[in-house]
Amino acid sequence: MSVPLSQMWTVATYVLKQRLRRNPRYPLVLMLEPLFRCNLACAGCGKIQYPGHILRKHLSVEQCLAAVEECGAPMVSIPGGEPLMYPEIGPLVAELVARRKYVYLCTNAILLKEKLEEGLFTPSKYLSFSVHMDGLREEHDEAVCREGVYDQAVEGIRAALRRGFRVTTNTTLFDGASAIRMQMFFDEMMDLGVEGMMLSPGYSYSKAPDQEHFLRRQKTHELFSKMLSNPKKRWKFNQSPLFLQFLMGKWDFECTPWGNPTYNMFGWQRPCYLLQEGYAATFKELMETTRWEGYGHRSGNEKCKDCMVHCGYEPTAVNTTFASWKGFKATVEATLTGRL
Amino acid sequence: MAQDERPLEGWDPGPIEGAALAEAVERAFDYRGDVTLVRRAGGELVGYLFNRDADAAPPFVQLFAASGGDPVTIPYADIRSIRFTGRDTAAGNSYAAWLRSREAAKAAGSARGA
Ligand code: SF4
Ligand code: SF4
Repeated sequence: MSVPLSQMWTVATYVLKQRLRRNPRYPLVLMLEPLFRCNLACAGCGKIQYPGHILRKHLSVEQCLAAVEECGAPMVSIPGGEPLMYPEIGPLVAELVARRKYVYLCTNAILLKEKLEEGLFTPSKYLSFSVHMDGLREEHDEAVCREGVYDQAVEGIRAALRRGFRVTTNTTLFDGASAIRMQMFFDEMMDLGVEGMMLSPGYSYSKAPDQEHFLRRQKTHELFSKMLSNPKKRWKFNQSPLFLQFLMGKWDFECTPWGNPTYNMFGWQRPCYLLQEGYAATFKELMETTRWEGYGHRSGNEKCKDCMVHCGYEPTAVNTTFASWKGFKATVEATLTGRL
Repeated sequence: MAQDERPLEGWDPGPIEGAALAEAVERAFDYRGDVTLVRRAGGELVGYLFNRDADAAPPFVQLFAASGGDPVTIPYADIRSIRFTGRDTAAGNSYAAWLRSREAAKAAGSARGA
């Protein structure tokens, strides 16, 4: 696993503190969406379908920072839309780094090289570019519905690495993904020199243009088992090994929807990053008034039935590491040996 | 009045209240296009309805007006009707267009190779 020690330490002490306080619900990663505008229109994306006047809007840096303070999570993920199209992205990231938040800037990297050349960012252990890469060239360009994006992303990754930035990749897998091709992709990303990779099955957004290619649970287990049962030592994953084992069918986790709370121009999104069932005006209101029992795999909610997405289940995996010896031992073993 | 599975774009339920209003609000909340909200006191507001709370006292909706500005909160009791006047941006045309262009490119490629 490739998460830097200082980040592991920050997360570990944060989780232990929450457990000592007997806090039953706490956030781990704030999903901060400053805008919904994007320069792509990917088939599986349900995040960008809004009228023009909504797409032209964005949060102010002050609104973003207030949400970060309110939430208190040690990590902030900035997805979107495309965050490099957010006019205040440089100042926002600088403020978050100054607050010692571990920032994952999730980008399709089309603009990455240009923004780096403008000097918008400074390398820091707190900042990682998390580049959207859905497989090798052919698979990626197909997933993002545009030729040439894979090559642009690779160019962006190289430019960031050359300047000393942390770079990770985030990959969403859909039905029809080939385990062998994905293994070739892992090799290719490691050859590029990225720090680590993040994987997740896709979610069947009701607003996504492509409704047919989402992985159901059994297929997810099969695909991830094939891909990861004999991992190469050189493959580094920037995520909880227990989450990857969960995707392989080795753990039976329940969703932790409050683990990755989402804030955007509409407010605090109920109940999670994927579903939009309403908005709370404050983080406190979100935590206290959301009917959490109506969500997750075992809730009987149709929308949650096949979901195994990182934003709901990775917080469960992290919590399991600290909640039981079994979880702790499995995490240490996987971290030291690289086996899943 | 029931809209079933028909596309919502262009739907005008006319004056509504009670359960019919609550249903129209739910549909507007799920709709990824602008709506026109007709007020009981007269006047209309065109915008994106991004939130509602039917359990609040009193129940309300929240919109970003298409003309800009901060979000506006309006009680259910002030709403006479909701017309689905904006384009449904989640209608899926971009993906269909991509599939068509890719198939066309493949066909052109194989024709060149033949
Ligand atoms: S998945 Fe990301 S890159 Fe693709 S359209 Fe959605 S926001 Fe843009
Ligand atoms: S199971 Fe998935 S869709 Fe349901 S609440 Fe959890 S993360 Fe959201």
